Amino acid sequence: MKTSVLVALLAACALAAGCAHKKGFEKEGFAYGCPIGDTKISSMEDLTKAKTVYEGKRTTIVDTEMRCTMTGDLIKVDTTLNNDSSKVKRINYKFRWIDREGMRAADEEPWKPLMLYDNSNLLVNTVSPNNKAVDFRLILRSEE
Amino acid sequence: MNTRQVALVASLAALILVAGCAQEKTRYGDAKGVETLTNQYGSTDLQIMAESMARSMLQAPVIASSNLPVVTVQEVRDKTSEYIDTRAITDSIRSELQKGGRVRFAVDAAGMNQQTEELKRQQSDLYAKDSAAEMGRMVGAQYRLEGNIISIVKQVKDTKDVYYKLNLQLWNIRNGLLEWSDEKEIRKTTTRG
Repeated sequence: MKTSVLVALLAACALAAGCAHKKGFEKEGFAYGCPIGDTKISSMEDLTKAKTVYEGKRTTIVDTEMRCTMTGDLIKVDTTLNNDSSKVKRINYKFRWIDREGMRAADEEPWKPLMLYDNSNLLVNTVSPNNKAVDFRLILRSEE
Repeated sequence: MNTRQVALVASLAALILVAGCAQEKTRYGDAKGVETLTNQYGSTDLQIMAESMARSMLQAPVIASSNLPVVTVQEVRDKTSEYIDTRAITDSIRSELQKGGRVRFAVDAAGMNQQTEELKRQQSDLYAKDSAAEMGRMVGAQYRLEGNIISIVKQVKDTKDVYYKLNLQLWNIRNGLLEWSDEKEIRKTTTRG
């Protein structure tokens, strides 16, 4: 009886571990395909918080989902921005690319204007400018 | 002129001086900032289009295969209702791609005169034969980049709407196949009041 309980417990543990693995933590140092280095990421919210930087005038637009993949040796990023207010919002955004040494992998990108309809999501995607870029940050600021 | 008149003239002169000084103020700005002074084609449009096209082209199979294809830049035709220096668009795209390290660029039609003149100059008796660039060593491009930029402008009373679309194509010179093509659209609306 005791043995069967132990076996059942072990099976439950293995199942839980398997499910946790499927959440997207596919490779060490990556979450949802995005490079995270040593940062502890346990959810999509953790990832978007770690990757998004707010500069200048704060915006209420939030990054709700981010997924990355490699196209050759370039990082492709898909990110969903959400406007949960009842007003149209205008923001500026850019990506900052970081190399292995933590330095800028490319020149600073130009700010790009973006309009988000009220209560809507907008998918923004990009690809790294060169193969020196191993990490990135999404920079957001309000244009209002 | 009495004292009162002298004081009046002095006051007026001081006012003109102050007004004159207040008119001009020059500051450096952010070259990568969003520029919305007018709704004509501007620096932000140029930067956004160049970046978007270069990043898209980096993912094209012929470029991503990393065998450093040789590309020549041809004309981007300005089909808009305003004057746009389309050379600035292709120059920016070329710089962005060059920094990406995936493409090599062959001298284009616009630079051909300077190239051949320099080659001829090096063939003259002024240069040492062993270090002079030889004739017949130029590399021909495998692909040519060309495109169009169009605009649609609409205006009613106090609102002006401008839509720009840049379309670029990468053609295989040998077989005439279209290897990559992409578009970037920009819409700007100006309202008065």
